[in-house]
Amino acid sequence: MGGVEDEEPALKRMRLSSYNGSSSVECTVGSSSGLMARPLSAEGEDEVIGSTGIIKRREFVRIITKALYSLGYKKSGEHLEEESGIPLQSSVVNVFMQKILDGDWDESLATLNKIGLHDEGIVRAASFLILEQKFFELLDGDKVMDALKTLRTEITQHCVDSTRIRELTSCIVSPSGLNGLSRRELVRVRTRLKLLEELQKLIPPNVMVPEKRLERLVEIALIFQREACMFHNSLDKEISVYSDHHCGKTQIPSRTLQVDTNGGLSIKHKLCGHQKPVSSASWSPNGQELLTCGVEEAVRRWDVSTGKCLQVYEKNGPGLISCAWLPCGNYILSGLNDKSICMWELDGKEVESWKEEKTLKISDLEITGDGEHIISICKENVILLFNKETNDERFIEEDEIITSFCLSKDSRFLLINLLNQEIHLWNIGDLQLVRKYKSHKRARFVIRSCFGGFRQSFIASGSEDSQVYIWHRNSEDLVDVLPGHSGAVNCVSWNPANPHMLASASDDRTIRIWGLKCLNVKYPNAYSNGNHHSNGGELR
Amino acid sequence: MGRLFVINLEGKIYTCKYCRTHLALYEDIVSKTFHCRHGKAYLFNKVMNVSLGETEERLMMTGLHTVADIFCVGCGSIVGWKYETAHEKGQKYKEGKSVLERYKVSGPDGSNYWINNEAHVSGSDADDQQ
Repeated sequence: MGGVEDEEPALKRMRLSSYNGSSSVECTVGSSSGLMARPLSAEGEDEVIGSTGIIKRREFVRIITKALYSLGYKKSGEHLEEESGIPLQSSVVNVFMQKILDGDWDESLATLNKIGLHDEGIVRAASFLILEQKFFELLDGDKVMDALKTLRTEITQHCVDSTRIRELTSCIVSPSGLNGLSRRELVRVRTRLKLLEELQKLIPPNVMVPEKRLERLVEIALIFQREACMFHNSLDKEISVYSDHHCGKTQIPSRTLQVDTNGGLSIKHKLCGHQKPVSSASWSPNGQELLTCGVEEAVRRWDVSTGKCLQVYEKNGPGLISCAWLPCGNYILSGLNDKSICMWELDGKEVESWKEEKTLKISDLEITGDGEHIISICKENVILLFNKETNDERFIEEDEIITSFCLSKDSRFLLINLLNQEIHLWNIGDLQLVRKYKSHKRARFVIRSCFGGFRQSFIASGSEDSQVYIWHRNSEDLVDVLPGHSGAVNCVSWNPANPHMLASASDDRTIRIWGLKCLNVKYPNAYSNGNHHSNGGELR
Repeated sequence: MGRLFVINLEGKIYTCKYCRTHLALYEDIVSKTFHCRHGKAYLFNKVMNVSLGETEERLMMTGLHTVADIFCVGCGSIVGWKYETAHEKGQKYKEGKSVLERYKVSGPDGSNYWINNEAHVSGSDADDQQ
């Protein structure tokens, strides 16, 4: 709190509305050194600073002063108020705040009215808060009669909310409260500091400068720069206030680190057993097992360390076409070619089956992180978001045919690949299309895309022109195109633990690992764990 | 090869003669009286699982049209063409529709059509009388 309590009558205080209005402002500073305030003609109301002239000098100085006090530099704060001649807040306000903290309710109400707030509603609301505090403190101190008097005379005068009055009345009437709870527990008495916070929210910011305003403005600027940085793919601690944040392309993986041809990477296991081409592979939540799906055949669960098949899931009749783990790791879900979806326990016992147009033969299957929603393509241009607990159905309808989709790590967004070579980003919560990405090529195959990079701020996709495409998620700008493969790139997977590593699989029968042009930062646990889709052939 | 994206049709289906990829439905036939170099051709409202070639201007029996050849996504063989723009008013109804050469597809009953050397038709297109 800046300034010192002032003895002079309120009339001589500047009217706070003058912060926005009149030409010069009075200011008396009663500091012990007795320095006179600087001549104020130089610091008129309208004086602005900064190159664009948007910032008003007086506002700027006040938020700096407030920041100094928040940081604990009381002397500096006071000195700034003196030297600039711009007080953080008027003495009336200082008196008001002190009265609140002292619990001097009647005085504080009087001071409140002297502040000169134009809006009657605010005065009434603030008065009500103060009187409520008085009421509760009296009750707490067991001064029930006084509390009742306050309620009857003062609070009802100011209060517009009759339900609140009734609630307050019930606090007196039932001393033991409901269910044996004491009054205090029913409606807890705020601390006076908390009351001050609440009052600060009500009172206009130019009268009482909000807490941490300067810090908030700087944060907004930094976050804005980070969001706007097209190539930003590094940790937040690398952002500095000293200069505008601007990453170069150096943080995007663009160099092939490793190419796996048959025999390139050392093969850990060959998982044999499927009779039909394997369309997808899915890691278990604990990373120790793998689920694979043979097209229109069966789903198999494998132990990754031994390479053994632990369980086969199939049905008499319809073939399975997709597979997914429930996030708890105890159940398997699978789409079938009769348009239904089934759920099995790990040991192969079928526990649930949802029929009637839940999925298509060519559809992917995803489960949201809460384990409740199943996502699949139910019609050629419609995605179904099915809540398996409530049977509630929501739909995303596109204008073009959907070929594949990918769920974001936080389960809030869906990336949809369309037949017409566009990738659409949807917000699942409010079912809104938020972004579109174009440029890659698709004519015949299922081409997959994924989220990736630091904070999943990038979108990567394969393409039939043999290149990997990377877009900046927020701006939709194409950030990089990576040549290297000699066949259509069918799918990509961005390492969820290492934002500088990307893997791509291609018709040239290789998998490429992409990394930074100059390797610098090390990431621990840089193995990936997620959904991978292979296209035909043996699973390696 | 990558995983082909193929849409499965339901009903009476015309499929690619070579790889059996679903191409069109019987109910989408607009006209059966089209011609191509290989004989009969049908005009369909909608054809699926085909990729488009380059668009070009072609002088057809009924006038100048902007067309693009269509290829089966399964095996890549050419199966017909798609009308992008028709330059004469009377031919506008063809825009957006596609022609499948009867020789290149298997009918809903699995039947095929063989080129009849006698019925040599010069030029493609037709169906002026509707």
